[in-house]
Order: sequence, then structure tokens, then C-alpha cells
Amino acid sequence: MEPVVSYLGVSALLFTIGGVGLCLRRNAIVLFMCVEMMLNAVNLAFVTFSKIHGNLDGQIAVFFVMVIAAAESAIGLAIILSVFRSVSSIETTDAAELKW
Amino acid sequence: MSFIEFVFAAVAIGSALGVVGFRNPLTGAFSLILHLLSVAGLYALLGAHFLAVAQVVVYAGAIMVLVLFVLMLLNLKRESGRKMGLLRGMVTVGIAGMLFVSVAGPMLSHFDNLSSVGLSEAAKASEGGVKAIGQALYGRYIVQFELSSLVLLIGVVGAVMLAKRKTVKLEPRQGGMGGE
Amino acid sequence: MEDSSLALVVIAPVLGALVSYLVGRASPKFSGIAASLAVLVSLLNVVALWRGLDVTGPSRFILSSWLSFASVDMPLELYFDKLSAVMCLVVTGVGLLIHIYSIGYMADDESRPRFFAYLNLFVAAMLILVLGKSLPVIFIGWEGVGLCSYLLIGFWYTNTEFASAGRKAFVMNRIGDVGFIVAMAILYHSCGTLDVTLLSKPEALARIPSEMGFIAGIALFLAATGKSAQLPLFTWLPDAMAGPTPVSALIHAATMVTAGIYLMGRMYGVVELDPAVPAVILWIALATSAVAALIAISQNDIKKVLAYSTVSQLGFMFLAVGVGAYSVALFHVVTHAFFKACLFMSAGSVIHGCHHEQDMRRMGGLAKSMPLTCLSYGIATLAISGIAPLAGYFSKHAILEALSSAHNPYLHPYVGTIGLLATAIAICTAFYMTRSFILTFMGSYRGEAHPHEAPVVMTAPVLALAALSVVGGLLLNHSLLTYLAGVLPPVEHHGASGGVLAALLGSIPGIIGIGLAYALFVSLPAVRESIARATKVLHAISAGKFYIDEALQLIVIAPVNALARIVSRTLDQTVAIGFGDALGSISRVAGELTCRITTGQVSTYVLWMFGSAALLLYIFLPLR
Repeated sequence: MEPVVSYLGVSALLFTIGGVGLCLRRNAIVLFMCVEMMLNAVNLAFVTFSKIHGNLDGQIAVFFVMVIAAAESAIGLAIILSVFRSVSSIETTDAAELKW
Repeated sequence: MSFIEFVFAAVAIGSALGVVGFRNPLTGAFSLILHLLSVAGLYALLGAHFLAVAQVVVYAGAIMVLVLFVLMLLNLKRESGRKMGLLRGMVTVGIAGMLFVSVAGPMLSHFDNLSSVGLSEAAKASEGGVKAIGQALYGRYIVQFELSSLVLLIGVVGAVMLAKRKTVKLEPRQGGMGGE
Repeated sequence: MEDSSLALVVIAPVLGALVSYLVGRASPKFSGIAASLAVLVSLLNVVALWRGLDVTGPSRFILSSWLSFASVDMPLELYFDKLSAVMCLVVTGVGLLIHIYSIGYMADDESRPRFFAYLNLFVAAMLILVLGKSLPVIFIGWEGVGLCSYLLIGFWYTNTEFASAGRKAFVMNRIGDVGFIVAMAILYHSCGTLDVTLLSKPEALARIPSEMGFIAGIALFLAATGKSAQLPLFTWLPDAMAGPTPVSALIHAATMVTAGIYLMGRMYGVVELDPAVPAVILWIALATSAVAALIAISQNDIKKVLAYSTVSQLGFMFLAVGVGAYSVALFHVVTHAFFKACLFMSAGSVIHGCHHEQDMRRMGGLAKSMPLTCLSYGIATLAISGIAPLAGYFSKHAILEALSSAHNPYLHPYVGTIGLLATAIAICTAFYMTRSFILTFMGSYRGEAHPHEAPVVMTAPVLALAALSVVGGLLLNHSLLTYLAGVLPPVEHHGASGGVLAALLGSIPGIIGIGLAYALFVSLPAVRESIARATKVLHAISAGKFYIDEALQLIVIAPVNALARIVSRTLDQTVAIGFGDALGSISRVAGELTCRITTGQVSTYVLWMFGSAALLLYIFLPLR
């Protein structure tokens, strides 16, 4: 196994950790941070692939992912603030009205 | 894998675990900053120099600052210590395992025959310096680039609209704009 | 020979039913007239066909194809021969008179249109029965008359007793129908055809295996028992008096109840296959006739007396069938139609005139207020008592004669006993009929209403039937028997030989009966009192109708009801409904469980999402 491939293993591991955090945590901001972490893992994989294939396509993809992540973080945090205003809490368990 | 690669990777993984593990979201945020910085280091090691810097500036510098602002604004106490069910924990671990295997397995098994990292042709070509990135962005990917500016605009407008405080309803007869 | 007027005979009353009902909605008065006109059309066609019989022979007509598939071909075909002619003439002739009578009798009833529609429908069904060329077509008519009988008995259905009487009649008829179906099955299986003209030929009959012959014959008799009220399926007929009197006259005196005799006559070949069958028929008929006559003695309702009298006379007809004298049985059918219809209709006039009083103990002395009705009832009573030269004498005499010359190996040793019993029953008949006449018309009036004579529209048909009761026997005696000899087995018949002396001798049983009744009820009341005291127990048995109804209830009805309850509880409620409920519950429970996925918690959704993604990735991304 090539050493560069171990980067992919790291990426997969980071993705999984982010996913686990997404399932386990209740704080909305922590959930958001886990999502960012997953995006980062994906970015790492892209860059690794770019290295493997020998062109810049992967890195351009990472660039755009970052742009989107920025926009998304702005809006996501704005949503969290709005929810906080009505529910006075950012625990996801407190905003569970939409149930059977 | 060289020593420094190993260090960066280990810090990335460790701080990732910290983000998930720390009860206090503020500590988690700092852990995430550490994570982002170590990932930036990994980018640099892979030859994506521009991205490494962009990572530090955008992610660690802007996004995380925003997160910290919001955390401070909300003035949170510790997360309520409701214990998680054992079943949920086991299910999560099981899912995590499955996820890891399914994500990592194909990737790792696919790339058996590769040229080594080093000064090969491929390595040269994938050096992501500013010039190279710039040429690609303004060359092949110009359309996507312009569109991404639109996305940022949406983000700005959306964030402002969402976070605005509720304004008083305007009376039809009265002139002028109300609110802020 | 194909003749389309056969179709008209049957279709006219069907259309009449429709028209009289629809016309009656607008104007009830005309429904009766419409119905009577329909029957008149039928009658005229029957007469025309009858005249044509001598010229062209039997005619047939196919109404439409019906059962035709594979090797089966049984169209709806009608057939008119001498036997059909006799029956059709009786049905349409007497039927017409009764329709006219009903116009008067039902004049106050608001549901007249429905009544006349049912009446016409009945005539149509009876004609189909009598004209059917194959057993399935006869069965259509058979069921049809059963249905119309039910509809007409329970005509005033708001009274639950009347409605139950109708249901009782229908159910008992159905029990007999089992016999009909069994017989059809055996005959079709053995002979490959159900055409009555073919089944009377020896080639067809020879194909029936010997053990089946007995069963087929008994099955046909079972069907006749249900329809013609013989033991043990006769208890519906007295209860059927709940229907309006014209119904009793038409259905339960003149036509439907004679369908059993007609069936025996048509299928005499099958009946005669095993000599045990006619013997069974005779013994049952004898028992029925005796029991019914004994019950009639103690009845106080005038219609019930006539009902039991009908059962008894039907028994007489089956006696003739039992000794193979089918044409004699048919002869009695015709004469019985005359005088029994006359009796019923006169009784109807009496009931109508006494404002719906049916108990004879509250009648009396009506000879003064209803002379014409009294005359007709009197004539008919003499006829049924077998007084020469009235119609009843000739047919009863013919039956007694046939009984004396029975060839059947099972019956031959008992000829003397049978003859004696039959004569005793004849005496009994005369006795109870005279009793009813005396109680109703003689003496002084014991009731509270103001009796008056019936209108012309009612008395005219009654007098017409009375006239037929007088001359019918004389006219038909020899000629009917020879007329039917072509279709039914010939009968050794001595005819009206012997002159006046023989006639007087033959009327002796009737004279004895009348004399006894007159003595007990008119001239010697004291003797009657002492006899009544002495025979209290016998009287109780007679008045209690020999407790046959109660026996049937215990032996048959109660177990069947219990079985039905058990089945209803276990199979229906537990299994069927429970099964349905279980299916519903499964659906409901599944729904309730499944909807718990939407907990509203983000973490739940995230878990589900990740779990599914992980699973899909695991399945679809190949691991080398």
C-alpha cells in the first residue's frame, strides 16, 4: 500500500468520526461543527486524489467546497439563532414538535 | 509515511475526537480549530499550498470565528447531561463501523499500484501553488467561479434576513419604512 | 307442431301483472280489471289450442334457449297436450272467475294493485309449471308458484303472524323441492334427458337402474308432498288461511296444491318403476286424509275447516295415484277445483258480509241475509259429500272403484281395509262439511255485525262455480277419463252405469254423514252434549291438530335452530368476523408501530440517515 493511500484512510476515519458526532451530540452548534469536519474529510480525500491523478481538478473541487461551506455556515448559524429566539435553547431535543 | 505526516494526521484525528467528545461546546470549537489547522498542514504536505492557506484563512479564520461569536452570543451552559441510551450508543458504533469499512475499504483496496509520493511527474503537476490554482480557476472553471460568487451573495442575504429581529408590521397608510 | 299462441298464454299474465301494478298506482280500481283481462286472454288462447288438439295434435313452442353448453341443451320450451289442456283450462277458467271475484272482495284494500299483480304472476307461474316440456322448466313454474304463494299468504305483511305463515309455507315447499332436484339428478344421469315427453317412453325408463327407480319415485313424491300438503309437510296449508280468501280459493284449493298430482301424472312412468313407490304414496295419502278429516271436525274457523278439507281431498287424489288411476285423480282435481273454489269464495262472501268475522260460533242464520251465498255453499257441500248427481259424487265414486281393483302387490292384500277407510273418510267429510253449513247458515245469528249479501261481482262467479259443481261431474265423467287415456295409463272404468239405484247406493256415505251432522247439530242437541262430554280427549287431540306442529317443532326446527346458532357463533362471529378484525388490527398495529419513526428528534433522523447510507454503501460499493 502506498503511503499516500493512508491519507485516504485518515480521510475515511475523520468522516466516520464526524458522522458519529452527528448522531451522538445534541447541541446544534456541535452538530454544525461535526458537519464541517465531515466536509474537511472529504476535502482531504479530494486533495489526495488530486495528488494521485496528477492534476488540479481535486484541488479546484476543494476550493468550491470551501466556498459553499462558508456560505452554508453563515446561513446555518443564522438559523440556529432564529430557533434559539423561539425555543430559548439550541438542544435539538427541545425542538421536536414535528412528531407523530 | 514520514514522521511529520504522522504527527499531523494524529493531531487531526485526535482533535476530531475532541470535537465530538468535549461536553463544553466552546472547548469543542477550539478543538475544531486545531483540527482545521492540522488538516491544513496535511494539505501542504500533499502539495496543495494554496488550499492550505485558504483553509487557515477561510475555515479557521472566518468560519470558526463566526461560530465562536454565536457561541458567545448564546451564552450557553454545559450541555444538559442526559445520558444516552445504551442501545443508541451500540447502534451508532455499529453504524460507524459499517460506514468506515464501506468508505475506506474501496478506497484502500483500489489504489494498490501507484507511483510513490515524491518528485515524479505527477507530483510536479499537482503542485497547487497560487499561480496554478489561479490559472485553473480563471481558465477551465471560470463559470463555476462566477457562480460561486452568486452563492456567497445568497449566503449573505440569507443570513441577514434570518438573523434580523422581528419588525413591527407596517401600516398601509403610513409612509416610510419601519423597523431597522 | 309449433304454435306461438302458447307463448301468449304464459306471457299475457306476466304482462298483466306489470300492467295492473302500474295502472293500479294511478287508479286502483282498474288493476283488477286489467288483471282479469290478462287471464281472459290466456283462457281464450287455451281454448283455441284445446280445440286445435284434435286437429293437429300436441303443440310446442320454444320461448328461448336457456341451458345450452357442452352436451346439454334444454331450452325454455312449452308443450301442450291433453293433460296440459285439462290443467290449463282449470287454471285459467277458475282463475278468471276468482280474479273477477277478487275485484269485489278486495275493493276496500289499498294494496289492490300489488295483490292483482301477484295473482297474475301466480297464474303465469302455474301455467309455466303445467306447460313445461322439460323438468327444469316445470321447476321454474314450481318455484314460481311457491314464491307467489308466499307473497300472497303474507300479503298483509304488517301482521307478523301472517308473514310467518307465508314463510312457513315457503320453507315447507322448499323441503319438498329437494326431492324434485334429486329426481332430476337421477333422471338426467340415467337417461341423459329431462324432457317429459321422452321420459315417459319405455326406452328412457329402462335406462334407470332398479335401485335408483325407488329413490327417483320417492323423490318425486316428496316434491309433491311439499306442494300438495301431504304428511308430514301439510301443516302450512291451514296456516296459509292467513292470506286473503281469493288466495285460498285459487292457490290452496284449485291450482297450486294440485301441482303435485300433475307432476305424478306427467312422470307416471318414473313413479311406477318400483311398485313400492305407489304403495308408499297410498299409505301416506290415506293417513293424511284421515288425520285431516278428523282435525276438521273440531275446527271453528270456517276457513280452517275448508283448509283441512282440502288436505283431506288431496289425500283422496293421491289415493288414486297410489293405485295407478292417474286420470281418475285428475278427474277429482277438476271437480275439486269447482266445488272447493266455490266453497272458499262463498266463505269469503260470508266473511266479507260479517265484516271479517271468521269464527263460525259467531255466525248462524245467514241463510236469510245471504241467500245466494247460502245456495252456492249448500250446493258445493252436497258436491263434496259425494251426493249424486253432483260433481263430487262421480269423482269420489271413481276413486273408490279404482281402489277396489288395485293390482299393486304391496296393496292387494289390504284392498278391503283401504276401501273401508276411504269410505269412512268420505262419511267424515260429509259430516264436517254439513256441520260447517249448519253452523254458518242455519239457526239464528249469534254475532254482532250486520250481515249482508255480497255484491254481484262476487256472487256471480260463485254461482257459476256452483253450477259447474252440479253439472261438471255429469259432463266429464266418462269423457274426461277417455280423453286422458292417450296420455295417462288407461283405467278400468265402469262409468255411470247402473242408473239411479247405483247412484243412490254410491251416495250412501254422503247421506250418512249429512244425516249424522243434521242429527247432532240440528235436531238432537242433547245427544251432542253427551257425546261431546264423552269424547273430550278425542276432541282435544283433534282441536290440537294432532300436535303435529309441535312434534315438527321439537324434532326438526329446534335442532336446526340450535345448529344455526352454533354455526353463527363459532364460524361466523369468531372465525369470519374475527379474521376480518385481525386483518384490520394488523394494519392498524403496523401503522402505529411504523409511525413511531417520526420522533421529531433530529438525532433520530440523523441516525436513520446514516444507517441507511452506511448500509447502502456497504452493499453496493465492492470491497475487493
